[in-house]
Amino acid sequence: MKSLHNLTIKKFSEGLLKRDFSAFEITQAYFNEIKNNDAEIGAYLSLNEEGALRDAEAVDISIAKGESLNALAGVPMAIKDNILIKDLPATSASKILENYIASYDAGVIQKLKNERAVFLGKTNMDEFAMGSSTENSAFKITRNPHDLERVPGGSSGGSAAAVAAHFALGALGSDTGGSIREPAAFCGIVGLKPTYGAVSRSGLMAMASSLDQIGPLTKIVEDAAIVFNAIRGKDPLDATSDDGKYGKELLEPDFEKIKNMTVGIPEEYFIEGLNKEVGDSIELAMKTMESFGVKFKNISLPHTKYALSCYYIIVPAEVSSNLAKFDGIRYARNQKSEIRNQKLKDIYFETRGEGFGPEAKRRIILGTFVLSSGYYDAYYKKAQQVRRFIKNDFDEAFKSIDMIIAPTASGPAFKIGERTDDPLSMYLSDIFTIPVNLAGLPSVSIPVREKKDGLPIGFQLIGKPWGEADILGLGQYYEKITAPEFYPHT
Amino acid sequence: MSSKIDKKTIEYLAELSRIKLEPKEEEKLIKDLQKILDHFDELKSLDTSGVEPMNGGTELKNAFREDEERTNTNQGQGTEAFPELKDGFLKVPPVFE
Repeated sequence: MKSLHNLTIKKFSEGLLKRDFSAFEITQAYFNEIKNNDAEIGAYLSLNEEGALRDAEAVDISIAKGESLNALAGVPMAIKDNILIKDLPATSASKILENYIASYDAGVIQKLKNERAVFLGKTNMDEFAMGSSTENSAFKITRNPHDLERVPGGSSGGSAAAVAAHFALGALGSDTGGSIREPAAFCGIVGLKPTYGAVSRSGLMAMASSLDQIGPLTKIVEDAAIVFNAIRGKDPLDATSDDGKYGKELLEPDFEKIKNMTVGIPEEYFIEGLNKEVGDSIELAMKTMESFGVKFKNISLPHTKYALSCYYIIVPAEVSSNLAKFDGIRYARNQKSEIRNQKLKDIYFETRGEGFGPEAKRRIILGTFVLSSGYYDAYYKKAQQVRRFIKNDFDEAFKSIDMIIAPTASGPAFKIGERTDDPLSMYLSDIFTIPVNLAGLPSVSIPVREKKDGLPIGFQLIGKPWGEADILGLGQYYEKITAPEFYPHT
Repeated sequence: MSSKIDKKTIEYLAELSRIKLEPKEEEKLIKDLQKILDHFDELKSLDTSGVEPMNGGTELKNAFREDEERTNTNQGQGTEAFPELKDGFLKVPPVFE
């Protein structure tokens, strides 16, 4: 349906209030799109048609009664399958959870239910969020809507593809090392990873607890700000969450202030070997920003090159601990045959051996290694010290700049199957996104809108801790100039 | 240079993490892990003496809630996913033999 292509959250809300359409109609339209076209994309693992239509209808009834509603009322959303929605499947794209139905609502889902958003279904992802292409899903691959021979990115590939293919107005994903931002860049949409602790991780299946964050994937930056504002906040069930001190600039950017901001260009990111398409595209975006007053300054993040090793020690270590809970029993039995007279230990060996995919096993084994006696100091402790260096680099740089611009990915979306044989080459996809998670900073990936042909390229605006208003503000200013069709009300 | 990964190492790690590996998987893991660990060697050249390890993603400490009774909790949810229950507990074969 053509009109779905131009919808933004504000346009949707206005349309509902003006009775141009009903929430029920729009939700139905999205399900029609999904039924007609998702077979070829593979964005969704499961759909929530009955529940979604029921909730959409309830919103319509409230509108008819003249009740006042929040920004996300009736907004059809796709939710990554590692986020729990009570009574809906939650598999994390793993066989070990193929029969699991979520026992409770994630903190963010409770908030979205209060907003009366509509959940269309659960989206495909790399198994347990491990991967950069969604090829590690135990169930199916997802194809990039811009080029079906290419990956949508990962691990939130299903969510990114759903938004890009107009199968949802917005989506939630999770980002531990780039899993929201990279698929957003590959699919030509916006993806925000919030400051660590800004959004509750309760009900998000933990991958690396000290890095994970849930965030929005949307068509435009304004939508990402609206969704972020709805899902953020301290949650008593997540002791690492905090409220932050956000003012009204989060939803109403102070453009006069933004025009005068200084953006840092890390010399370690824009080196000789950078993919030409990526470098050229980002330069276009920078020129646009310069034209309305933004200043750019060269900065250095000296420990950048150690980030990959640091990340791939810490994450598997935390993964090996977090995935220990999956015994193939507690979250519904994952084996078809009845197992009798088997020792408990043997059940674990069988169900975990059979239920986990290759990447999950690889990371658990690697994590077990770096945490094991005799190796802990040389690897895990060392990595945690390096992590502090990386964070300090950013803290130092932020003394003289407001935010940082960086590529999101090292190239446009690669072809399906291109990197599956060599795990290290897959890991290298994350070099620009990983340092942000290690330092706990907020970062938004925005498509280079000046680029009209070829595959999408995204750039990141990395903010100070709790600096979402700044990066989302600059992002919106940039979009109002480069994609004014999405901001008709200004 | 870096630690050497061999079949015994992989078998030990598989035992610790309770994952049954097929021979082909073991072979691939030896290769993959060796390659990845070799990459980690670059950290050795970095002097981190006296640096406080970063323990997590947040600087928050002692994030307690009020010591009040709560009636609205998640307690008990999830037991419907257990294949076998006894008195609300997950029933499994003996842990100790």
